[in-house]
Amino acid sequence: MRRGILKAYIRKELSELLRSRLIIMVYLLPTMLMLLFGYGIRMEVTHARIAIIDNDQSRLSNLLVSKFEHSKYFDATTTVMGEAEALRKIKQAQSDAIIMIPASFEKRLLKGQPTQIGVFVDAAFPSRGSTMETYVQGVILNAASDLSSSEMKGSIVINQRTLFNQAMRDEDAIVPGLIGLVLLVAPAIIAALLIVKEKERGTIFNFYASPLSKAEFIAAKLIPVFLLHSINIFILLLWALYLFEVPFRGSFWLYWVASELYIFVSISIGILISVITRTQIVAVVLTVMVTIIPGFMYSGIIMPISSMVGMSRYEAHVFPVMYYNHILYDVFLVGEGLASEKTQLYLVILALYGAFFLSLGTIWLRKEIR
Amino acid sequence: MSRIFWSIVGKELIGFIRSWQLVLVVLYMFTMEVYIAGSGIEINPRNVAVGYVDGTAGGLSQKILTRLHGPEFLSPRRFNSQSELSRAIFDKEIIVGLVFDEDFEKKWRQNKRAQLDILMDATAASQAYTTLNYLQHIILDISKVNIPVDIVTHKLFNQNADNHTFMALTELLSIITMLSIILTAVVFVREKEQGTWDLMLLMPVNPKVIILAKSFSQIIVVMTGIVISLGFVVLGTFNVPVNGSLSAFLLLSFFFVFAGSGIGLFIAAVARDVMQVAQLSIVVMMPMIFLSGAWTPIYAMHPVLQYVSYVSPLRYYIEGSECIFYRGTEWIDLWPYFLGVIAVGGVMYLIGFRKIGRLF
Repeated sequence: MRRGILKAYIRKELSELLRSRLIIMVYLLPTMLMLLFGYGIRMEVTHARIAIIDNDQSRLSNLLVSKFEHSKYFDATTTVMGEAEALRKIKQAQSDAIIMIPASFEKRLLKGQPTQIGVFVDAAFPSRGSTMETYVQGVILNAASDLSSSEMKGSIVINQRTLFNQAMRDEDAIVPGLIGLVLLVAPAIIAALLIVKEKERGTIFNFYASPLSKAEFIAAKLIPVFLLHSINIFILLLWALYLFEVPFRGSFWLYWVASELYIFVSISIGILISVITRTQIVAVVLTVMVTIIPGFMYSGIIMPISSMVGMSRYEAHVFPVMYYNHILYDVFLVGEGLASEKTQLYLVILALYGAFFLSLGTIWLRKEIR
Repeated sequence: MSRIFWSIVGKELIGFIRSWQLVLVVLYMFTMEVYIAGSGIEINPRNVAVGYVDGTAGGLSQKILTRLHGPEFLSPRRFNSQSELSRAIFDKEIIVGLVFDEDFEKKWRQNKRAQLDILMDATAASQAYTTLNYLQHIILDISKVNIPVDIVTHKLFNQNADNHTFMALTELLSIITMLSIILTAVVFVREKEQGTWDLMLLMPVNPKVIILAKSFSQIIVVMTGIVISLGFVVLGTFNVPVNGSLSAFLLLSFFFVFAGSGIGLFIAAVARDVMQVAQLSIVVMMPMIFLSGAWTPIYAMHPVLQYVSYVSPLRYYIEGSECIFYRGTEWIDLWPYFLGVIAVGGVMYLIGFRKIGRLF
């Protein structure tokens, strides 16, 4: 690579990027995504609207109702209405769950006769449905074990320790994953258009006719975006630390190095797409397809990788987001750093990914008219 | 007038089909992408990876462990020491670790308080919570505390809380949003980039007809995709239940795609080239998709975002579709969703329509 030529080409690319309105987008887009999702995504179920139909109105049933009312997970309302009416409320999506306490609840309970508590959960949204179900069961079981604590013999006490996220804050669990998503989408979408834009406009002939080599051309396209997006690494970190108050337990250097590598990977994906497509629209849709959806699915935000089975497990290993997010969660919440062999391995894998995509892009790039 | 309208629609459709890469990508999105999302992704706490260290001879501890079974749990993995277990949790291979210390069983047999230590990776909060709940259940059961209360749960509309159908549907809705915006925006911006848009507006044809016809052609493309996706993937492969009326869904979809192309028009009016379209549409789309209530219910969001979500037609579309497919809501109760989609979509289309139709 000839340094002088490269420098001149990079200057041309950089000034082109700076002159267009794009430069605002480079910094606006990641921050906006971060704020929207950071405030908008909640995995835990809070304030589920729950309607309790208390047909008993006794001391015990009131006790149970008050348990629900004091739970932070539910906004409980006690009503008296028929089953059909309650069902209609769920159908209109005005209520998430109904709990029915039968008429002779206390009487039967004190006599030791079996009674039933009916729980109706709206499972049109399946994951929330089952989460709500476990919460409801948890509250009822909790109330039950409070009541029966008198007959303690040979009991087992559960001593739980939550690691990494003691307060179970949703922000801590989501925001690091978001950085992984944002830094995959934003650089890739810019890089994806760089070459295909020249193809559609016809300015690619300048490159065909110039003595510029393929590697130099790719490098000149890659470096400006890389430099511009490197600043985003720090902007996103500041949002995470000061706005969302996520703890930072690992090493800053590891975060920096891993993030630069990751941006490199995502730009390489973009450039590869730019090389293989012929029109900008295809490049845009393709980039959206391979970044946004897998970036969210396999980021570990909505589901831990260890719980994936079958195809999706392999697919998760194919997309780079999994490796980076492992390091991100380590840096923010765990703090093991390079002591963990897995982190070392993942760093190497990220570097390999970048090199692989980039060399594929260089090989497939043509320097003549087909 | 209608002859001009249809010939422009035809021209755009031919243009779409000629770009085989685009046809392929759009088809892929409506079929494979929906299929992958539906078959692969599981948000429910399932297959939770459990590890344990057992210092006892293994009577009681095994009794507890055998009750952690599929589909909620992967079969528990044994570790030889607590440090090995915590190493695995730190490496995110294990989400919940159980530690049975040496006198766990002895104490229990002697009717003393036995302590079961649990380590949970709280970054996977819902998995951790579910496991804890399960263990509580098991332990209550084993300690033979008698509570004669039976909790009978009915999961309405989706008995097994089957995630696959839901994910496939959500994915389809996201793709509809994405394509209806991008395709429309690009159809206009490409002409802008090549400089032919000004010529179009100067033609002795009413520019309104041109705009309407051009956006209508993309609506046709997306609607065709919806029908293909519904037939082959959503209903064909996943057997998503249709408790409501399918024609209601198609009608709602039509209005929504119309709204989406309105947003596309607006973006096309603002953007100067496809690069800006890409950036702008992502800025508009991602919030629309993820804040639509498909991932987090609206009322659990930050209050400011709740108000913002009122402007998103996707919000009404998703709620409406959920109602149609799962809840089986009657036509009469669907009016808020139709009203929402039409009102928001109409305003957006009007703004975009006026903005792009201006020559100077």
